[in-house]
Amino acid sequence: MVEGLGDALAMKVKVNEIELDLPAGTSAIDAVFQAGYDVPYFCSQEYMSPIGACRLCLAKVGAPRKDRGSGEWILDEETGEPKIFWFPKPMATCTTAVMEGMVIDTKCEETKRAQKSMMEFTLINHPLDCPVCDKGGACELQDRAYEYGDGVSRFAFDKRHQEKHHALSPLITLDRERCIHCKRCVRYFEEIPGDEVLDFIERGGHTYIGTLDDGLPSNFTGNITDICPVGALLDSTSRFRGRNWEYRHTRTTSTDDSSGSSIMVDSRTGRIERVKAARHTKINHDWLDDGTRFGHEYVDAPERLKTPLIKEDGQFREASWEEASSLIAERLQAASSVGVAVRADATLEEAVGAHALAKALNGAYDYYPKTAASVVPDAPQATFDDLATSDAILVISDLTEEVPIADLRVKDALKGVTPPEPMAHGIPIADLRLKEHMPKKTDILTVAGPYHVDLMIYAGRKLTYDLGHEVALLSALLNLAQGKDAEVAGLGADRDSLNPLVNQLKDSDNAVIAYGSWVLGSAEATSLVNDLAEAVDAKLLPLAPMANSRGLELIDTTGDNVLGSASALLLSNLNPAQDTQLKQRLEGLEFLVVHDCFMTETAELADVILPAKTGYEKEGTIVNLEGRMLPLTAVDVDGGGSEDLTGVVKALGDALGSRLDGRSVRSARRKLKADWEIDLAELPSEGVLPDESLSNHFQASTASSSPADVNVVIVPTMVRPEYLAYNPSLETAHGALSLRVHPDDANKYGLPVGERVKLDVSGVTRYLVVKEDNRVAPGLALVPALPEQPLGLAFADLQRAERAPLATPKPPAPVEPTLEVSA
Amino acid sequence: MTQLPVITPYFADKQEVVDEILGRYPDYGRRSAVMPLLWEVQRGERHINEARIAEIADIVGMHATEVKGVMSFYSTYHEHPVGKYHLQVCATLSCSLAGADEMYDYLVDKLGIVNGETDKEGRFSIQKVECLGSCGTAPVLQVNDTYFECVTRSRCQHLLDQMRADSLPEPWRERGGDNVSAEKAQPLQTPASQTSGGES
Amino acid sequence: MSDAVADKPQAITSRHDPRYQVTLYEHVGVENAWTLDYYLSHDGYGAAKKALTTMQPDDVVGEVKKSGLRGRGGAGFPTGVKWSFMPKPDGRQRFILCNGDESEPGSFKDRYIFEDDPHQLIEGLIIAGYAIQATKGVVYIRGEYHKGYERLVAAVKEARDAGYLGKNLFNSGFEFDVIVHRGAGAYICGEETALMNSFEGLRGNPRMKPPFPAQAGVYGRPTTINNVTSITSSVHIIRHGANWFAGMGPEDSRGTKLYQVSGCVNKPGVYEMPMGATFGELIHDFAGGTSEPAKAFIPGGSSTPMVPFTDEYLSAPMSYDGIVEKGSMLGTGGIIVIPQEKCIVNFMWNCIRFYGHESCGKCTPCREGVATWMPKMFQKLVMGRGEPGDLELIETMSDNIKGTGFCVHADAAMWPIDASIKHFRDEYEYIIEHGVSKYPRTTWWKD
Ligand SMILES: Cc1cc2nc3c(=O)[nH]c(=O)nc-3n(C[C@H](O)[C@H](O)[C@H](O)COP(=O)(O)O)c2cc1C
Ligand code: SF4
Ligand code: FES
Repeated sequence: MVEGLGDALAMKVKVNEIELDLPAGTSAIDAVFQAGYDVPYFCSQEYMSPIGACRLCLAKVGAPRKDRGSGEWILDEETGEPKIFWFPKPMATCTTAVMEGMVIDTKCEETKRAQKSMMEFTLINHPLDCPVCDKGGACELQDRAYEYGDGVSRFAFDKRHQEKHHALSPLITLDRERCIHCKRCVRYFEEIPGDEVLDFIERGGHTYIGTLDDGLPSNFTGNITDICPVGALLDSTSRFRGRNWEYRHTRTTSTDDSSGSSIMVDSRTGRIERVKAARHTKINHDWLDDGTRFGHEYVDAPERLKTPLIKEDGQFREASWEEASSLIAERLQAASSVGVAVRADATLEEAVGAHALAKALNGAYDYYPKTAASVVPDAPQATFDDLATSDAILVISDLTEEVPIADLRVKDALKGVTPPEPMAHGIPIADLRLKEHMPKKTDILTVAGPYHVDLMIYAGRKLTYDLGHEVALLSALLNLAQGKDAEVAGLGADRDSLNPLVNQLKDSDNAVIAYGSWVLGSAEATSLVNDLAEAVDAKLLPLAPMANSRGLELIDTTGDNVLGSASALLLSNLNPAQDTQLKQRLEGLEFLVVHDCFMTETAELADVILPAKTGYEKEGTIVNLEGRMLPLTAVDVDGGGSEDLTGVVKALGDALGSRLDGRSVRSARRKLKADWEIDLAELPSEGVLPDESLSNHFQASTASSSPADVNVVIVPTMVRPEYLAYNPSLETAHGALSLRVHPDDANKYGLPVGERVKLDVSGVTRYLVVKEDNRVAPGLALVPALPEQPLGLAFADLQRAERAPLATPKPPAPVEPTLEVSA
Repeated sequence: MTQLPVITPYFADKQEVVDEILGRYPDYGRRSAVMPLLWEVQRGERHINEARIAEIADIVGMHATEVKGVMSFYSTYHEHPVGKYHLQVCATLSCSLAGADEMYDYLVDKLGIVNGETDKEGRFSIQKVECLGSCGTAPVLQVNDTYFECVTRSRCQHLLDQMRADSLPEPWRERGGDNVSAEKAQPLQTPASQTSGGES
Repeated sequence: MSDAVADKPQAITSRHDPRYQVTLYEHVGVENAWTLDYYLSHDGYGAAKKALTTMQPDDVVGEVKKSGLRGRGGAGFPTGVKWSFMPKPDGRQRFILCNGDESEPGSFKDRYIFEDDPHQLIEGLIIAGYAIQATKGVVYIRGEYHKGYERLVAAVKEARDAGYLGKNLFNSGFEFDVIVHRGAGAYICGEETALMNSFEGLRGNPRMKPPFPAQAGVYGRPTTINNVTSITSSVHIIRHGANWFAGMGPEDSRGTKLYQVSGCVNKPGVYEMPMGATFGELIHDFAGGTSEPAKAFIPGGSSTPMVPFTDEYLSAPMSYDGIVEKGSMLGTGGIIVIPQEKCIVNFMWNCIRFYGHESCGKCTPCREGVATWMPKMFQKLVMGRGEPGDLELIETMSDNIKGTGFCVHADAAMWPIDASIKHFRDEYEYIIEHGVSKYPRTTWWKD
């Protein structure tokens, strides 16, 4: 029973012989599953509206009736019990709500016959090409046909012939013959991301799914391949790569962004073949953004570094871990000051190791990118579910790109239906509160940003403020909330439209303010947003920049501006050499160790390179933007000799002759257990949201500040820019990293539209494809962030963009091992 | 770069038409305008191509895909241009009983095109359609928006000749039963108070 | 008409009854009857004025309830009862939605109201709108009725200009206006929920009930949907009183109704008759009898089961229950008389092809059964390729389709097939056995 619903609302329902008490509004199909019975179904899908289209879930259903006059149950004369009146036709259980005394019979002939004949109809036009279908072995139709079908077909005509390999987009292939018209994919686009880029075309027996929106413009297209009950919609990147029973399925947490979404990684013979969504009822439900789903190809890229490399006479040669680590230990011990820096998607365990290593070398440890203010709010922290159930939301971010899953949860809120409570059999299969084409409650949503961000389409209130006006916006809102007058110049809104926003936030019991790195990039703005939250009694959802930005704040950093001050560095997955100034510094270092998956501009400068594991290969823990601790489980990938940072710490510790904390995941967890009294080894796969936040060691970085003269907004992207070049499918679909400018500016600066240019953006050398975008204000350019160039403002002299026709120069692969070395 | 032809939006100079159509529906029902807008384009261009679909999508705030989904659901919106005279033969029950299938064969024979086709000159196109609500005056041939009813072979021949000469006649008036005119219907009598009586 | 009850006059059940008067079609066929001037000179908008100025909304609902009017769109649901389902006004916009999609083969009664008497419909909408306290009427008219559309749009404009639509009608304070929306060729959009989707600019698939239209109809707002003739009937009920209407027809089917006759009769067309008159009276006395020997007739539009053209069936009263007793339905009252020489299998192929073409494709039994498999079976038979077992397969398939679809379309496609097999099994068996039809005639077109 769902808690909180009084007895008055509980319905007594009988499924075959099992009696249940169910809350009013439960669907009959969920009653059946709750009772441990089964009916087939294709069109129903968790988290989406039930529509009763496939008719597979038909069952004989009856209910007692009350006498109109007396209001008493009409009794069966023989038994004296309320008499069951059977519905004249079998009912689609997915669209039937339970009623007091309802009886559902899934075992009778009538039910079986209806189900069997629906199965027959479903199969008459299905090609039955299971032997060559990627879905074989994991196909709902195959399973259900086996369980409920007849085995023979009486349909003696030619089947419907339609296109079999239709590329809906570079990422998704459609086989129209296999489609059984369940409408899951069409409803998905309408109901989940709200991008109606796929629809039924034609009608009746000619109905097929198709699009006129080229390439399915949406950040969330891949999910349809997960929910398609047959092999009609397939992930093109994994097509014909293996059969379902050959895959190893590993559930882990994505390190793609700070949402902590659950993923299911399917691997085979040491390769990742595909990534699917794994259900997390509190985070991503059953969904992923395309960056997270398709951004895994780099793991198996041939350019991946798999052995340590030592530079000799300006050339890298392969080396063993022992050789490399004793060299590193020796040189770092000799260095005048040592810095250890990691990227903010390193695990907690890795951070413990990095911290211990730096300490052992009398050096400093820090992580990048770092926000100017803590990603842990002082005001109460919101969860994704808070966001999804809020009726007053203020977003200051390009949410769809910054943390795409949060965008979907905002859209949950726009439906005005609270997330479903799991039942014994899981999330309700048919949540009758959800309907097709529900009007979106757009008036609860305000979206603010320095340019037109996608989420504004759904917002009742849009604030396009002038560059760098986050502080101005937040202080205006705070002043209004405190009943003071406010300066509103440059906020894209006047007082009359900001006042209702403030009042809406105040009046709401569950207001949420979500803000990303444009706010976090300023300590002042972040402190204002906390004050505002207190003033209007809202919860805060800071969008941390990387997978473990939040977790790394829990571990003491021991240096400030490590990159700018240490004379010898160990950099894990960082590429600061893209910045011209930092490059010069790196060139002058006493010693540089780079721990990375690929040869980067920085790795080229290194004295020693250590091959790194990707986020999929790690075991460890991250803390998502809600503060939820989530486990990473290692996928079986052939990473050669690569190691995560705990492996590096182990190797260096051995060379230094000391047993460092964090020399293994276990050792790091021992340390953390001692500090926090939390055993990370015991984390369930869906993680844990600690009741009380752990003590925070956040130290603002003093390194960078915005240039005085700005014309560029550094914007988030759903894809990981550092790996895009090694994710060919995703790059084809998403397009290369782009410089978005207004058409007039493209003209004015002679920027070659559609071509790649090399451009200095506040000191960082960027390779970007020029894209015209009407929605970007003239005089402004949008450039996607890198871990080394986080969200914020920058300056680029567009006049000086140079054509760079070749792709971002991929650094050369390491030299082939010479015979002498291996001998 | 190749120069793509510039497509002038259909409604570029027809803002009043758009405003009138949008104005029929409440603010929250903007989407309802999609069918009348499709009708409007089809009236002007005898079909609705993808550029027009995208234009309509923009006006009503839908995705082009959805507009296409709506448009393709109906039988009377055309993806490809139909002829100047779009001949629609009702082939359903009552018309079939009155010889509609033969009428269709006759047209196919005379025009050299079949269901769904348009002739080379773009003068004629044929479409078999479902019951047009003209069962009492079957068979019916709908030319563009106009019904020609009780079409006999000679009338059909005559019609074709006229259309070939580009002078589509006014439809002849064919009615039956009480729909001929009220004169033939029973005159209005004093209500129920009157005594019952014999046959009239 | 022999034993009249003493104080209560016997109900009128024949058009021959001198008390009977034509009302719905009184002005149909008259030149210029579609103009406001003509309409006003024939007591036009008098009933609306009477309702708005002398009755409370509930009284109007009560009057229509009392009249016994049942929906003329096919299902025959009591109109007054439907009106009373509307929730209490809560500030949300409410709609009266008029179903003018008229696409059921054999039905063409609404067409002439659009073309010749559109003001009657507007007046009906005002009355219905007032009764359910809806200030917006929507007329969904099938796309092919172009002339009707133009006439209706012109009439709405005339009425608006003359103050019969707009604010403060008849100084009653009641406000009402009408939106005219054109369909585009989809039979299924006559189904009430599909119609609402279509009107809203969505694909015309039926939607789920509940919520019922009264709770959440057009744009999710309270809506009542009625057929054109249900709405125009209310004009006459208000004008002449519920008792007048209830004085026609048997207990279960009161009032006057439009019947449409097509097929092999001498004078096909629409005839207005009191309910309860017999099919024989309609076909022989008014439609001029058959033009050639007939073997069957469809009593109420193509989805109603056909019955043999025999006295047993011709003597049945045209009332909702009367024909149900004979194994069929009154539907829209569209009667199609089928000639003796028409091959029933061929006729049914045409029929199932229609239902297949008009399936919306949403649900499996209809998309795969009605729209795909069943027409293929009939095509096979008509082509002379039938095999033993095919008829049985058709029968079981029909059983599998009935009662399993999302809306009634799939069932409606099967009823006529079942009836044709029931009454003309020999023709099916003949064509399967011989590969040719028992009635091979193919020429029907008149010179
Ligand atoms: C497939 C299908 C088609 C229908 N077509 C029409 C139609 O064309 N006109 C109509 O008035 N009702 C039609 N109906 C009936 C409507 O759903 C609805 O019952 C009717 O409009 C209600 O009006 P009434 O109560 O005044 O009869 C159709 C129903 C179905 C299932
Ligand atoms: S029965 Fe036919 S028309 Fe009705 S919902 Fe199903 S597919 Fe559509
Ligand atoms: S009809 Fe598809 S699940 Fe019920």
